[in-house]
Amino acid sequence: MSAQPKTPEIERPSIEDRLYANKYTDHEDSHLGVFEDDVCLDCEVYDCVSVCPANVWRNEGDEGDVPLIAYENCLECGSCRWACPYDNVIWENPPNGSGMTFRFG
Amino acid sequence: MTETPNYDDKFDAIVVGAGLAGSAAALTMAQKDLEVLVIERGNFPGAKNVFGGTMYTRRVRELTGEDFDDAPVERFVGEKQFSLLSETDETAISMRPGEWHEDHHNDTYTVLRGDFDEWFAEQAEEAGATVITQTTVTDLVRDEDGTIVGVETDRPDGSIRAPVVVLAEGGNSLISEAADLKETDARDEVAIGVKEVRKYGRETIQERFGLGEDDGAAYHYFGKGACGNAVGGGFIYTNKRTLAIGLAYTISDAIQDDRKPDEVLSDFKEHPAVAPLVKGGRVVEYSAKAIPEGGASAVPDLAHDGAVIVGDAASLVLNNGIHLEGTNMAVESGYLAGEAVAEAVEAGRTDADALQGYPDRLEDSYVLKNLENYDWFGDFAHGEKDFLFNVLPEVTAEAEKEFFRQDYEPKETHASRAKSMVIRAMGGWTGAAKKAWKYRKLLQ
Repeated sequence: MSAQPKTPEIERPSIEDRLYANKYTDHEDSHLGVFEDDVCLDCEVYDCVSVCPANVWRNEGDEGDVPLIAYENCLECGSCRWACPYDNVIWENPPNGSGMTFRFG
Repeated sequence: MTETPNYDDKFDAIVVGAGLAGSAAALTMAQKDLEVLVIERGNFPGAKNVFGGTMYTRRVRELTGEDFDDAPVERFVGEKQFSLLSETDETAISMRPGEWHEDHHNDTYTVLRGDFDEWFAEQAEEAGATVITQTTVTDLVRDEDGTIVGVETDRPDGSIRAPVVVLAEGGNSLISEAADLKETDARDEVAIGVKEVRKYGRETIQERFGLGEDDGAAYHYFGKGACGNAVGGGFIYTNKRTLAIGLAYTISDAIQDDRKPDEVLSDFKEHPAVAPLVKGGRVVEYSAKAIPEGGASAVPDLAHDGAVIVGDAASLVLNNGIHLEGTNMAVESGYLAGEAVAEAVEAGRTDADALQGYPDRLEDSYVLKNLENYDWFGDFAHGEKDFLFNVLPEVTAEAEKEFFRQDYEPKETHASRAKSMVIRAMGGWTGAAKKAWKYRKLLQ
């Protein structure tokens, strides 16, 4: 009998590799933010970080920091708005056609 | 940057967003000789729009007539498959009715929104609507009585007035929420969708999925092997030269998973039943979208003084586990809103009462009928999450292994063991009886 058929190797692209395929136009000011820093300083769950599919929200600093926001990664899904249990996410649409342009969608 | 021309009093209606709901509304109103302005924040209509991949196009076909022959569809869906995935197993049901391969193809196609939405917005333009892109609506304009009389945009002097504003801004409905026209949904009522579009040779896709030149397949996956212990599922849709591979699962579940959504997507692609279908190729786009899945109870008031809400912004998405529909309901709501707005404008009154024709029409349509009929599903799925997404795929695989086992026991023994596995997983006979009662709606 033939050998056990193996599951084929699958590419596991990093966020960066995935985003590299996308068309993005920068806008100078972040379209994301937090209303109150204190709310993030007291936050222990970082649900914004857990839900973000593009590594925009990052708690790489010390525990109890305001997350870093790499807004230029943003896929504009808005999930962080709902994820934050304290409604502390500022979210605006990027201006004048900037941000992500999806060609496939 | 060019200043906004003085559009005041030129338009009967302003549509916020040139997605499917917005363009359906614009096309319908333009066909009824209204002056319509569509404002789109992306570089072109569709540039900001993401969905799974299958569109039900009946209303689009009827609205566009012969022009629908030129609609940029990818493949008609000639085959659907629904799979339960445990971590290592797959149990699937597959269907390929002959009728889906004939004229109109049950109005079911895979499409790329970048192409399709642009084409659909062009249909509205050809009917007389004005579409401006790269312009973000930032707020609504109200008169002293609180009636909505226009929009603010990010263009210099970018305030534009019209008797009616059609809010077709999508699931991330910032304007409608900021204007208190709807509440922000709870996070267990919104799903996050993530998707990778991968490019392959056309032949590769056709051989791999057993397709001809024009037909396509829609595969849906449920269970732990798709998106862990979450209410949701995975999908693969075949386009001409690309596959749409993705997941959609509830935000409240996503934050409980140790893995981030992009990792869950990679794990799904590595499932032994999925990997052979998606291997190779190269990623050409990575996208995400929030999907309002709160059902009928999450639908906000749809008619306001001077405004209506359509499409995803109005939470018009159906997920009952088997039917996953949103874009068709977006088109239908845009169409019905367009008709009602035209009537109101004609009568010279655009307050909430005058615009009530839209929610009334929607109530009589399949859109709200389906949402109301399946309103129980969300709570049910969350309540039964462990059984549906964890236990069920597992025990199904265990039982089928036992049923077909090759050893020296008689078939009767295998069948009886398989049966007891299933009964045990449901909590014995009492549990099974309770489940049968609880699941009666699903079985109906």
